[in-house]
Amino acid sequence: MNPKDLPMVGRGTVPETQRVFRPDPDQTPDDDIREAVLELGREGEWIVQPVPEPYYLAPTKYGRSKKVPFEKTWHHKSCGQCGHIPGYSTSIFWLNRFLGYDYFDPRDQTSCTAWNYYASATSNQVAQAAVAMRNFSAAYETGYFPIIHCGTSFGHYKEVRHELVHNHELRRKVRDVITKLNRPFVMPEELVHYSEWMYAIRDQLKARVVHDLSGITATVHPACHYYKLQTGDAIYDPEIYGGQRTAAVTAVVQELGAQVADYSTWYDCCGFGFRHILVQRDFTRSFATMRKIEVMKAEANPDVVLTHDTGCVTSLDKSQFATQAHGRNVGVPVMSESQFAALAVGAHPFRVAQLHWHSTDYRPLLTKMGIDVEAAWAEFQEDLAKIEHGSMEYLTWESVL
Amino acid sequence: MTHDRILVVGAGPAGLEAARGAADLGKDVLLVEATDQLGGTPYAHYATLTPYLKDTHEAMGPMVEGVQTHPRIDVRLKTRLVASQGEAGQFVVTLQDDRGNQAQEAVGAVVIATGFRHFDPGRETQLYGYYEFDDVITLVDAEHMMQQGKIVRPSTGLPPERVAFIQCVGSRDRQIGNQWCSKVCCGIASKQSIEIKRMVPEAKVFIFYIDMRMYGFWEDQLYWKAQEEYKVNYVRGIVTEILKKGDKLLMKGEDTTMGRPVELLMDLIILSVGMEPSQGTLDMAQQFHVPRESHGFMATVGEPLDTVTTPVAGVFVAGAAAGPKDIEDSVSMGGAAAVKAVTFLNRLSQQLA
Amino acid sequence: MLSNLYPEVPLQEKQRLFDQVKADPRYESYLYGCYECGICVAACPSARFYDFSPRKITQTMAREDIEMFYEHLNDDIWNCSQCFSCTRCPRQNNPGGLITIMREVAVNNGLKSTKEALAGYTRIIYKIMTTGTQVSPDMLQEDAFPDWGPQVKEVASHLDLWRRALPPETLHTTGLSWQVEERTMLELYTIWKLTGVLDMISELDEGLHDIMEEVMDDALEDQGFTVG
Repeated sequence: MNPKDLPMVGRGTVPETQRVFRPDPDQTPDDDIREAVLELGREGEWIVQPVPEPYYLAPTKYGRSKKVPFEKTWHHKSCGQCGHIPGYSTSIFWLNRFLGYDYFDPRDQTSCTAWNYYASATSNQVAQAAVAMRNFSAAYETGYFPIIHCGTSFGHYKEVRHELVHNHELRRKVRDVITKLNRPFVMPEELVHYSEWMYAIRDQLKARVVHDLSGITATVHPACHYYKLQTGDAIYDPEIYGGQRTAAVTAVVQELGAQVADYSTWYDCCGFGFRHILVQRDFTRSFATMRKIEVMKAEANPDVVLTHDTGCVTSLDKSQFATQAHGRNVGVPVMSESQFAALAVGAHPFRVAQLHWHSTDYRPLLTKMGIDVEAAWAEFQEDLAKIEHGSMEYLTWESVL
Repeated sequence: MTHDRILVVGAGPAGLEAARGAADLGKDVLLVEATDQLGGTPYAHYATLTPYLKDTHEAMGPMVEGVQTHPRIDVRLKTRLVASQGEAGQFVVTLQDDRGNQAQEAVGAVVIATGFRHFDPGRETQLYGYYEFDDVITLVDAEHMMQQGKIVRPSTGLPPERVAFIQCVGSRDRQIGNQWCSKVCCGIASKQSIEIKRMVPEAKVFIFYIDMRMYGFWEDQLYWKAQEEYKVNYVRGIVTEILKKGDKLLMKGEDTTMGRPVELLMDLIILSVGMEPSQGTLDMAQQFHVPRESHGFMATVGEPLDTVTTPVAGVFVAGAAAGPKDIEDSVSMGGAAAVKAVTFLNRLSQQLA
Repeated sequence: MLSNLYPEVPLQEKQRLFDQVKADPRYESYLYGCYECGICVAACPSARFYDFSPRKITQTMAREDIEMFYEHLNDDIWNCSQCFSCTRCPRQNNPGGLITIMREVAVNNGLKSTKEALAGYTRIIYKIMTTGTQVSPDMLQEDAFPDWGPQVKEVASHLDLWRRALPPETLHTTGLSWQVEERTMLELYTIWKLTGVLDMISELDEGLHDIMEEVMDDALEDQGFTVG
């Protein structure tokens, strides 16, 4: 029997078994790195930037709690999101404004440069850590707390933190570089991914949903670098797959009222490959479609694929065109859960979610959500016309809230 | 004054043999057991014993009865040791029964035989889904079924057509922090595979392993027997993920002999969970100030030539409280601990006399 | 295991490269030992499409098999997806991380196979190192992504207008992903120079190195930034 021919069981994220596992923080296999960060702070090795209050306490893999700030956040943007899928970051900012949260969108920020590092290795340990610490320093100086948009940046920074904590020689070298830049040497108390913030605000969003999502089925792709790098520091919720898989994205989507359907290759990566997506896309296309999209289609037939990372949205979305041309079973829109959540609470599909930057047809999804696509597109075209004719320089926040 | 009585904590194979040995050597023995019966983990949870596949209650019956009826052994069931004071020759321990009644007892030497607990697969770092799928079970769950004379898929109540064992769950794993081999799981899985084939001859049974640890006579008593007589499939490679598809379990791994990833459908998957120090072992280490060795079990001095003497004078250890042990080891240690404890008390009273 | 794919390369040279990998401070915590359980391969995307095995690479390194190491360094490491699914290794090895280190050594030493693997990629290195953002909106061009369909052309043809139709003020850019302050950029250049990253490029692509060095030095000099 070919495993592919068997259906997944449609039980959502509820375990089949009655057995219940309760994680015991005393049984964690590793030391709490945040304790070590604070200890180094007390020793004067670096400044520890505290998580601003009020914060949400989210559960992690081994039952420890993680502080996730609601506001006063400094947005560490993602180069791939801002460059190629700008509705991703726009939706994150829009949700902050929608909920009335104070945030900061910095210009004194570089990319984490990890995409390049994982693609070409044209960098080294000291340089990568220095880039991270420069950005943390920049955040600290504004008084806002860093929140990281990209899954790879988040995972890479967790690795960097681990290396800096455990290698004092590296710490010394990086501090020398940061000191030469006349900047303070700062480590945030927590490293927070934006999807953890989404998890923290999910009940606030639920109260503001304007579209009935009960007919929408989503499949979730958890981003490798979000939870496979430094596994202990990622959101796991006993309510979601019995706490056996990360609850990021899934918990939010369910809270919004949509159905999350399981599929058998959920653990597989998206095929991005860092180098492959740019110069060896035959691998990316094959993996993204044959191991991910086609399996989702066959097993769950989703209306949308939701994920929480730059590379995953890109490879899962863009790879479908060529495969579709071969008549294969693909054709599911892909977006971040921030875009999907923004749509759910009434954001404009083009002014905010900026779906025209996406490749796979998203119109059937919008229609199913009860959004008038044609009307929305016409409104957006009017905006564009105003910009083109000079009566409006840019589309502004005032006109989209 | 030296109290000429020996306390044995825990009544599994090691504790039973220690109690019987010390009593036969002429000492009074106080045997404290937290559960409501003698025999320990194998007696309570295992249908048959490795490697002879003999019914556990039948095999252990005479041993249990011998202790129960021994005139020199004072058995206290449903009783825990909650405090300990004093030192070698003059320990005063506080015992508490299940109704909360406390009593103080004076003893001269102690044998700790509090054993192990099975690893909880909720803490494994692969994706085996014990807390997701009914048809993923542990070795112990399988024994419970075999105690009722059957092996079925919990989801359907029907016999399985394809069964897989996954070895080293919670053992040999730095991620979890358990850097030891649990010694018996290879043997128990092979034993169970034979039993499953006897009960469901048409079933296909697989054992996924890293190394088969079948030392001594287990080689032909279990390994070759399962492979040659019962056609059990031994596949070198460990499973990384289990999912449910249709009414089957889909397991993913690498067949490292063939060097390729594999994805196979199974009806029942049995996790070969390893050994960890039991709560009782952790508590007794604390009560008697016995240091724990690097893996967390009770430390002994003089290894490999003395397996039972702890660094604390008058306190001895037997069985899986000191590390992963099979029943042969546990019983041998029980005997050794009895001799050491009795000798220790005799010398102590001679010195004082 | 005897390897004879690169008999023309002297063993000492292979040993020298191996020693460089082993000297990386991360090596110790990326490789403990391998008992061939295969979990890394089962979780590995690249193993499904290429003749690629994180287990074999890890075992080769653990055995210090210099000939096999050299084969992996040339023929395998660039197939890795760097997804780090393999970090579930029960021995706590990090095969993907080992490969990151091997790649660094391959770049530092300008291996021919590395130059081939990164052919077509150097424009990205230029982008990230000189602008601080990896991909810019204006890189979405039909000729660069022919397999992404007509939507790429659609973006390219409206790029400036569509960027202006983005509410976040920092995103009205086409040559980089968001507006980056000049000081920020200069600090990044300083990091590249202080940490030897710029020097790494010279082994890989001397022309690229020279162009970037000129861009950075001019910018730093204009603003009176001194490095070192």
